[in-house]
Amino acid sequence: MVVYSFYIFDRHAECIYKRRWLPRPTSIVGKSRSEAAPTGLGQTVRSSDDDSKLVFGTVFSLRNMVRKLGGEDDNFVSFTTSQYKLHYYETPTNTKFVMLTDLKSPSMRIALQQIYINLFVEYVVKNPLSPTEHPGGVGVNNELFEESLEQFVVCVI
Amino acid sequence: MPSTDRGVFSLIIINKAGGLIYQREFQAGLHKLSTNDYLVLAGTFHGVHAITRSITPKIPSVQPPSPATSSPSTTAPAASSYSYPNPGVPVTGLDYLETDKFRLTCFQTLTGTKFLLFTDPLTGNVDTIVQKIYELYADFVMKNPFYQIEMPVRCEAFDRHLGAWLRGRA
Repeated sequence: MVVYSFYIFDRHAECIYKRRWLPRPTSIVGKSRSEAAPTGLGQTVRSSDDDSKLVFGTVFSLRNMVRKLGGEDDNFVSFTTSQYKLHYYETPTNTKFVMLTDLKSPSMRIALQQIYINLFVEYVVKNPLSPTEHPGGVGVNNELFEESLEQFVVCVI
Repeated sequence: MPSTDRGVFSLIIINKAGGLIYQREFQAGLHKLSTNDYLVLAGTFHGVHAITRSITPKIPSVQPPSPATSSPSTTAPAASSYSYPNPGVPVTGLDYLETDKFRLTCFQTLTGTKFLLFTDPLTGNVDTIVQKIYELYADFVMKNPFYQIEMPVRCEAFDRHLGAWLRGRA
């Protein structure tokens, strides 16, 4: 299976972390470009910054829709289009983890939960230098977290 | 088995402008919403459906440097050269949505009408059900001379046949 991108949104609806793995025909995954630094200047049609806003809008609307229909304890797990699959996991503190993969992938709820428990909590929440809120991704973009996320996605998934 | 319609909670039909034109509940299982909320839901879903199509990941493809193009355009980021993950399959918006309690199947016709079918997560053969509903819609709604296009569906024959088919579905 292929992972296309991964987003974390905090409870203020801000994207605090995003990462894209674009499968390039010639290079390996290790050479994937983390879009953290060079964004901002709208390069082409739509920057990845706008993409994350669209992703947030989608999962936010769908989550509210699902809660209205299925009750407060219902949660949406994933959705599928003809091209990709979006997986969603929300923590009790309203931090949202979103992952876009190809269609062949199984349910990634456990994987997202693992990312939260084993990576986010360990390397971001427990980091004494990291603030409690992460405006603009402060505290999330530390080396340990990024490295282990990379490891997790490449090896485990 | 007598109650073979178990599994299908409700059906919503949205016209191509995002307006709710049909809503019917077949079986309890989901919370009831007010008519207004259903209209909001239809409109919201219409928008979300369009967004999910536009956030499709684009995979940059390496294009061979062609001598015909001038050099400034080749050095610029090749914005146009990308492919979709499933080339050959048309890009659609949300098709299936899975939650803990239900499964939503969205079928969009060529003219943009959307059929939203809410089923139990374990119901199989959802595509067949949606196809049959589309067939019934074509037969009893579109062929009804009194039906005004894009307007709410009020066709007794459609209601009757839909209910009967879902009840008798083997």
